[in-house]
Amino acid sequence: MTFAWKAAGITYNRYLAVASRVVRRSLKDEKRLQADRRGEQDLRFAKWQNGKQGEVKNVGEANAAAMVQAANAPAS
Amino acid sequence: MLSRAARPALRAGGAAVSSRVAAPSTATFATLREIEGRLKSIRNIEKITKTMKIVASTKLTRAQKSMRDSRTYGQSSNEVYESAETKPIEAEGKKKLVVVCSSDKGLCGGIHSGLSRFIRRTKAEENIDLVIIGEKCKQQLQRSNAESIVLSFAGAGKDIPTFAEAQAVADQIVQLSGDYSGIEIIYNKFINATSYEPTIIEAFSKEALLESPNFSAFEVDDEAVLGNLREYALANSLFWALSEGHACEISARRNAMDNASKNAGEMIGKYQILYNRTRQAAITGELVEIITGAIASEDM
Repeated sequence: MTFAWKAAGITYNRYLAVASRVVRRSLKDEKRLQADRRGEQDLRFAKWQNGKQGEVKNVGEANAAAMVQAANAPAS
Repeated sequence: MLSRAARPALRAGGAAVSSRVAAPSTATFATLREIEGRLKSIRNIEKITKTMKIVASTKLTRAQKSMRDSRTYGQSSNEVYESAETKPIEAEGKKKLVVVCSSDKGLCGGIHSGLSRFIRRTKAEENIDLVIIGEKCKQQLQRSNAESIVLSFAGAGKDIPTFAEAQAVADQIVQLSGDYSGIEIIYNKFINATSYEPTIIEAFSKEALLESPNFSAFEVDDEAVLGNLREYALANSLFWALSEGHACEISARRNAMDNASKNAGEMIGKYQILYNRTRQAAITGELVEIITGAIASEDM
């Protein structure tokens, strides 16, 4: 059994994040404002090599990019 | 016109004051000014630390609530491993991945350096790779363990950690290319409002779960599910560690600021007394001079 989202290169965590975002957005306004705050993240990260810090990137964007790459890899 | 007219008078007055004071003792006058200045700056510092303490106190209740909530996440996901009696694999030559949960902000006592010291002490000989969440620990570990750092995150812990943050971090860790025997998450365990302890949560790899003695208790259709479980469990454990670390940090900051305000209060008291005494001494000195002068001129 393979999952459709797995085939699309999405990790389980990403799948959950998307699902929870959909649930949050379907809430009523006053509850949604509160719930939306739980879905926020503003992380930056940097890869290190040989004791040197690399470029600082946004985690959300990097994750999305990695998913796209993973999705394209098996297809090509 | 008026100002110009007033100016000579002012100058004269000022000259009179300065000459009168300067003549008896320039030293006392200077220290009086100095003490006043120092008092003022200490008062300002006290104001700042008090405000920070109040901010931390209000945040603390929320942080502790989220910590309690997040414990459920971590513990319920660990339930699987407990009932499977999973043990970390003792693999030779394989690296361990250590995730350090600190944060970006300082002014909270020894929270971050406690974590760094724990890593230096316990992991000195082991072959590990480090993933560091938070600027503070990054700066500290950069000096000693720069070679083993593979990832560092910034921007976590500004507010209460969200599950989305934990997920994003977990995703990045999963994408790491290295082959690791297991993942250890190191965070500050909240014991009570004044004490914390660097603690390890084990996040097991898929192989460790497969090899666990009681694994047959679970019915698994597809092994792909285990990979998902591992990712999800990692996010859960990270969320737990981040929340608990956050609560520790806030409570440590509250304590640190409380102590700072107390110390500032003590210093203010001391300086106030010193200031009053010096002022009194200066006044007494001046009085003595005036009286002696008066008596001397009376005699003549």
